[in-house]
Amino acid sequence: MSSESTGILFIVFEVIQSIVPLVIFFTLFQILYLKLPLSQLIKLYTGLAFTTFGMILFLHGINSGFLPAGTEIGEFFGGSDNKNFLIPIGFVLGLLATFAEPSVRVLSYQVEESSSGYINSNLMLYTLSFAVAALVAVGMAKIIYRIPFLYIVIPAYLFALILLWFCDKEFVGIAFDAGAVATGPMAVSFLMSLAVGVATAYEGADPVADGFGLIAIIALAPIIFVLLLGVYMRFNGGRENVQ
Amino acid sequence: MMGDIRETFLEVTQAIIPLTLTIVLLMLVFVGTSLPELISFLIATVLTVVGMTFFLTGVKLSMLPIGEAIGADLPKHNSMAFIALVVFLLSFLTTVAEPNVKVLSNMVDSALQGSLDTNLLVVSIAFGVGFLMAISILRIVYGVSIRYLFTAGYSIILVLSFFVLTDYLAISFDAGSVTTGAMIVPVLMGLGIGIASVLQNRSELDGFGLIGLATMGPIMSLMLLGVLSS
Repeated sequence: MSSESTGILFIVFEVIQSIVPLVIFFTLFQILYLKLPLSQLIKLYTGLAFTTFGMILFLHGINSGFLPAGTEIGEFFGGSDNKNFLIPIGFVLGLLATFAEPSVRVLSYQVEESSSGYINSNLMLYTLSFAVAALVAVGMAKIIYRIPFLYIVIPAYLFALILLWFCDKEFVGIAFDAGAVATGPMAVSFLMSLAVGVATAYEGADPVADGFGLIAIIALAPIIFVLLLGVYMRFNGGRENVQ
Repeated sequence: MMGDIRETFLEVTQAIIPLTLTIVLLMLVFVGTSLPELISFLIATVLTVVGMTFFLTGVKLSMLPIGEAIGADLPKHNSMAFIALVVFLLSFLTTVAEPNVKVLSNMVDSALQGSLDTNLLVVSIAFGVGFLMAISILRIVYGVSIRYLFTAGYSIILVLSFFVLTDYLAISFDAGSVTTGAMIVPVLMGLGIGIASVLQNRSELDGFGLIGLATMGPIMSLMLLGVLSS
């Protein structure tokens, strides 16, 4: 109980400490250069207060909910003989989390617009969710079979670098930005603590070398996926559909 | 503003429900979590949703317009050094405040059991983002193709990854993607759109790619930290 209250006090302190320098910087810039009108300033500072308050609640919620839950579930499977269950579980989690993530929808519309309707946003949403799900499963397999991170990440980025040069120009920026959409804050906290939990309880595994890397692997899914769409758009007559 | 809050609340709830249901199912079927524990998990989830709603509404009201206002102001100063410095500072400070970075540094701290100073970790991540953002904004100003930057950046990363300790390797890459968080993205987007909107002959599309470019920053800076500390 007492650890709970020191916990939230610590978070309040930590959040305020991290946001104050940003507020000071903005205020200085406002006084020296921007000189925005008062009405707009009030709105901005209200927004900053919301941000701070929300971040405190969010971090406290995560620390007492998703993080311990992820660690507990991870340690359970990591210490059991049914580690293989983690692969389908990872797949389902990835599928659901991506499908439900609002920023994935935003990305899908963006791609539909950039291709002037050539790439249907719904089709994109389904296939992208599937791609992320597959990579979460890969990430789980990486922990269970202790596949070195280099073996996954080097070929994947080399592939992305090659695609980059064959891809429609407009898609390059969208693709690399898209890495962000699959890693929403809630999914990240849960999956990260799950992975570290598995690697901690798994005898013979290294919690650091085997536990981390999952988020980076997941972020690769939308990058490679959108790059592939860009290559397709460039070589399959997509151009005449784009003004 | 009430409309903003309601809309954000619906988005957050929609994103969290499938995840929460799966977790509860896993807890009940496999882990055998007790009822009080389950209830406290659900209470924490409600806190998370409320917190996220306020946080995202606040970010929309403050960080995006701040990024845009500063971005649109920068080209007026006609000094590349000034632009680079301000972009560096703003991205650095935003990264320090980013909740995703806190979650990562806490995870790293508990996994490494305190053998790496978390302040050093956060500062390195923020330095990487700031540095890459300064370069990326100059890219928009000078009109350099985004392909060259990505190719150069990831080539450096791929080479470095053979020299980095395995402990740092995975953390470096995770740090890259964690940085694409809810606080950083609107500021970077705002900066890019702001700058591109005042420059002539630049389409708004030049604002895209900034987040992807910024991702390379912390990967590189943490790898360097790993190489230096070994």
